[in-house]
Amino acid sequence: MENETKAQALLPLTPPVFHILLALAGEERHGYGIMQDVAQQTDGALQLGPGTLYGCLKRMLAAGLVEESDERPDPTLDDERRRYYRMTLLGKRVVRAEAQRLAGAVTVAMAKLAGEKA
Amino acid sequence: MTSESDWIGPLCRIYSLLLLGYPAEFRRAYGGPMRQVFRDRCREVARRRKGGETLRFAINVATDWVRTAVRERASEFWSAGRRPARRNWVTEWAGTLLILLFATTSLVQAYVIPTGSMEGNLLVGDHMLVDRAAYADPGTLGRAILPCRDVERGDIIAFLYPEDTRETYVKRVIGLPGDRIRLERGQVIRNGRRLVEPYTQHIASWPDAYRDDFPLSPRPYTSPRGRDMFEHHVVNDEVVVPPGTLFALGDNRDNSADSRYWGFVPRSYVVGKPLVVYWSYEASTEDLKDWNVDHIVDLAQHFFTKTRWKRTFLVPRSQRAQEVEVNR
Repeated sequence: MENETKAQALLPLTPPVFHILLALAGEERHGYGIMQDVAQQTDGALQLGPGTLYGCLKRMLAAGLVEESDERPDPTLDDERRRYYRMTLLGKRVVRAEAQRLAGAVTVAMAKLAGEKA
Repeated sequence: MTSESDWIGPLCRIYSLLLLGYPAEFRRAYGGPMRQVFRDRCREVARRRKGGETLRFAINVATDWVRTAVRERASEFWSAGRRPARRNWVTEWAGTLLILLFATTSLVQAYVIPTGSMEGNLLVGDHMLVDRAAYADPGTLGRAILPCRDVERGDIIAFLYPEDTRETYVKRVIGLPGDRIRLERGQVIRNGRRLVEPYTQHIASWPDAYRDDFPLSPRPYTSPRGRDMFEHHVVNDEVVVPPGTLFALGDNRDNSADSRYWGFVPRSYVVGKPLVVYWSYEASTEDLKDWNVDHIVDLAQHFFTKTRWKRTFLVPRSQRAQEVEVNR
């Protein structure tokens, strides 16, 4: 229960933070991998720049939403070592809570707009 | 390496400099990965080769930089009290501003192609950035941080027009010091070998022996520098490029005022290397040389239709000419 309130306190998330967490939901990724996944999730609408990406990661690390995994090369790109990130338990809770909050907001929006003609 | 690395390299170097806009601590922690990610994005954009996307990428990176550099600096400033021994924020900000000024004034310079002498590769109205660091004497420190090489044959260079140094010209380097140059029916013969130059364009509007069979003899209106070339640097009907200078010709070979007419380009007049066309707009030579009200009105009315969008972020390339044995 205490964990729940901790997660609630961090809401609402900014879109970049939300999508970065989603990118890390399935697997660990490095910076460029996160960037690509976020672009894919949003159909290209949210293209993170390097500054936004690492600024967010810095704050997310500080808040304990993500943690650094290790540095290793990505076999699909080249042999350069890249720093990988993964989601923490808190991160998982937060992104779930945010998704619920958004779902709630969507329900409200649907109800309010149902009567109106486009 | 593929040709796309031509612009990725310089761009990554510029981005490395931009990173100096972030607070030192942030840079130390994330500078490396950010550079990596930037380069990866460059490659991705290069692979797709879509003009619109390149533009979006550039705008995206620029706004990202401005926003996040300011943001990280601000967050550093607010949290400054809690940490010991911070650098004064005034000096940190001054650093950012200095880098900006430095980057915009000494590393790159904006330039417009005013005439059609490079037509085929560069059009009238191409607005481009010139990399001033490319051929500058870097000094020992510079050599360590900037990739430099000397001018080579086939390079496109921007330089101060020797006859009037208020103007900047763009041409292609044909001869280096010591090279023997002549033209035979419009074809360049360098050091006894005929050049096959795929980048040139010959639209002979009229025959001209002086232009096509160079060097014959100076014309009445040849400039003093051109005269000097004929008097002191012609050996056996060939021009011999003297030390410390270059022989440069336009790609639009039949319609170009170049070294054939006004002599050699002093090496010290070389400004840099055209890096990228950031905007190409159809306009007349006069309008580009002297901005006037009509031009501004024209710009306002036709910005979208007269901008040659396809040329945005086009990179002019150095090209080596093939050399063929001449049968005399």
